[in-house]
Amino acid sequence: MSTQTETPAAGKPEADQSPEPKPNFMRLFGRYLTEANSVMVTIYSLLLAFLIGAVLLIVSDEYTRSTFSYFFARPQDAWYASRDLVVESYTALFEGAILNFNTLEQYQAGQAEFGNLLRPLSETLTYATPLIFTGLAVGLAFRAGLFNIGAQGQLIFGMMGALIVGFSLDLPIWLHLPLAIIAGGVAGGLLGAVPGVLKASTGAHEVISSIMLNNIAALFLVWALGTAFLHSETKPDLVSKPVDDSAVLPTLLSSLNPSLRVNLALVIGIAAAVFTWWLLSKSTFGFRIRAVGFNEHAAATAGMRIGSTYTTTMTAAGALAGLGGAALALGVSSGGITTNTALDYGFSGITVALLGRANPGGIVASALLFGALKAGALSAQPDVPVDISTLLQATIVLFIAAPALVKAILHLRTPRGGLVTLEAKGW
Amino acid sequence: MAVDTAPAPALVDDRARARHPKAGATYAVLGLLLVLAAVAWLGGRTTVIAVDRTLTDARWAAPTLAAVVVLGAVCAAAGAWMIAGLPQRRFKLASTAAVAAFVLALLFWAYSQEGTVFRAESILAGALFLSMPYIFGALSGVVCERSGVINIGIEGQFLMGAFTGVLIANITGSVYAGLAGAMIAGSLSTMLLALLATRYQVNQVVVGVILNLLALGFTSFMYDQLKKAEGFNDAFSMPVITWGPLADIPVLGPVLFQQKLFVYVGLAMVVVVWFLLYRTRWGLRTRAVGEHPAAADSMGVDVNRLRYWNVVAAGLLAGFGGAWFTLGNSLAFNKNMTAGLGFVALAVMIVGRWNPLGVLAGALIFGFTTQIARDLSAAGSSVPGEFLQMLPYAVTLVVVAGLIGKARAPKADGVPYNPGDK
Repeated sequence: MSTQTETPAAGKPEADQSPEPKPNFMRLFGRYLTEANSVMVTIYSLLLAFLIGAVLLIVSDEYTRSTFSYFFARPQDAWYASRDLVVESYTALFEGAILNFNTLEQYQAGQAEFGNLLRPLSETLTYATPLIFTGLAVGLAFRAGLFNIGAQGQLIFGMMGALIVGFSLDLPIWLHLPLAIIAGGVAGGLLGAVPGVLKASTGAHEVISSIMLNNIAALFLVWALGTAFLHSETKPDLVSKPVDDSAVLPTLLSSLNPSLRVNLALVIGIAAAVFTWWLLSKSTFGFRIRAVGFNEHAAATAGMRIGSTYTTTMTAAGALAGLGGAALALGVSSGGITTNTALDYGFSGITVALLGRANPGGIVASALLFGALKAGALSAQPDVPVDISTLLQATIVLFIAAPALVKAILHLRTPRGGLVTLEAKGW
Repeated sequence: MAVDTAPAPALVDDRARARHPKAGATYAVLGLLLVLAAVAWLGGRTTVIAVDRTLTDARWAAPTLAAVVVLGAVCAAAGAWMIAGLPQRRFKLASTAAVAAFVLALLFWAYSQEGTVFRAESILAGALFLSMPYIFGALSGVVCERSGVINIGIEGQFLMGAFTGVLIANITGSVYAGLAGAMIAGSLSTMLLALLATRYQVNQVVVGVILNLLALGFTSFMYDQLKKAEGFNDAFSMPVITWGPLADIPVLGPVLFQQKLFVYVGLAMVVVVWFLLYRTRWGLRTRAVGEHPAAADSMGVDVNRLRYWNVVAAGLLAGFGGAWFTLGNSLAFNKNMTAGLGFVALAVMIVGRWNPLGVLAGALIFGFTTQIARDLSAAGSSVPGEFLQMLPYAVTLVVVAGLIGKARAPKADGVPYNPGDK
């Protein structure tokens, strides 16, 4: 996804080029709101996605559906039931992600500490942290025109790499923790290199090869957790050994309240985003990535080696996802990883990168948004199905990827520069 | 109806001799390694092959050592032939022989362990059944990509078909209504792809991946919601169709004439899609639109309209393939139950070189691999089950890496067509 501007669909000359009355603020603001520029497309995508989510909540809820069976006799029943369901569900998401109103009341009455109040926010940041890494992993590859769907597998490998260094070495913390984090990055980078090398040497499409590696990595984890080397010595179920204390990422806010899980990985994630920004916009390597992503033939003509750019970019992307795995294995899951630890962070990384339009800053912002969705959905289950976060994410990025669709649904105007779309190469 | 079906003139002189040192050396080394390994480890073992369903007593025990040595020698010989230089038209034969010998040798080896029996009929019948999702998915991909739209979303269409199939079957009480529902669900999800790819000219790879996520989120969400109530996700089974006396023919009977509806429909669809693509006006136009849309447009074909309806129709196939996961296997729906097989189907399409007959061959290979992996892991193989489960994915990786360089996608595949900018 080298973000490219697309000229408006042909055959429709812009009609509203007529002389305009003198612009005032409200008119300009109104124009901005009705234009399909990238800010408004993002906002409308969010609104449309939550609207679709609401419709699905109503349709799939048994009680609410039953009120629609006598809709024409008492429409107000259906209306109230639907409204209550949607408001309750989205409030539950909000309370799990940002601020719990019950805790707020308790805090005001002096029954809860300030730390309790921060808990939803801490959860949001905790879930956002791996998403920053995987989002960067997908976004960086996107800039080279590569679609890295393998962040899930790379994250799993990163988890295993960090875990192995984390429990098998006996070192002081200032050496052990960095080594374990780096081991995660190296393991993820090794797996990420495979689709890059395959694409460079044989032309195999990275989408298929990285998906296959995802499946292979997931099965490999299942097998590895069962081996005597990794399997927990105390628990019978499929859990790994815990990481040594000297390799655990310190938490940031647990002095306020022990339930605040957000840890140093968040800071590392933001540092990784800054580094990626620097890499992409200030370094020679980043220039090569962008040149290859923008037009590989032109880049080749200019003397850049396309194959080696693919390989190094995919390795760097894999390393970023691997760091995300290290953040999990040394952070929230330092007591032992399971097959469930990776959740769907890798796949969500794709949506994070798309929503962030492959810019490091945008990726951090969208990781926070999707982290909030995940934290909200996990705390609101089972009242609200946990997969509502996946559903909302996919719907949001579907609209982001298809600005023309948003424009057509809402009858927006084409902005002056054309619509901003996302690109990845075909076979 | 004048349709040009003559094959394109051969670009390479078939009689020319050519050397293939790299490929040849690989096969030669693999073959020799097999022979050495067999001599070292396989002395005294036997491989038992049984025709288990029709002739329950027929068993044939082969000495594993001899079999593996002979097959390894065949593989090495084919490799040597390639190094020495062989007529160009014999290259396919030699490489097929080498690969087949190698795989057969591995099979003899795998089934030489104590207590494992190669139950020929069950395994072949199972392999054909397991190749069905690949056939439906890859055929759907062929129809889309031949008309110039990349369909990465097969996985999502499988999920939609699997979920809707069992849901509609539960609501109506009829498996066949479920099948129809699955096809419509698959078609609705490709309709979104078609709309975005043709009218809104969105990048098809990006949208395909998003549609997969959307289908995963949607089906998982609905699964959780509907789980709260009874009777939406109960397993339905389909009857095995037996063709009277034909089913009693040894080997062929259980494999071909004692299967579920999916197998017959799948095999028929291979032929139907092949016929439609290469022998009808629609097929010629579809291929033209996929290769050179501007040329097709100048001959009066409405490119985007044809693409739209082809992609929608391809969704029917993928949705039907999705129903295989639930209705075909008599299972209830479960989250992410397709486990990436939609992407394997995509690899099958590439292996089959965007041709229905190639798809059949590729799907059979993958189905066979999956079946062997399942059978061995059930029989208690010394290889961990997880590695056996990796086999289809690993084979996909090898195949995609080894073949796509040579396989050529339709030229306009994935390129939106805008009649304005010719």
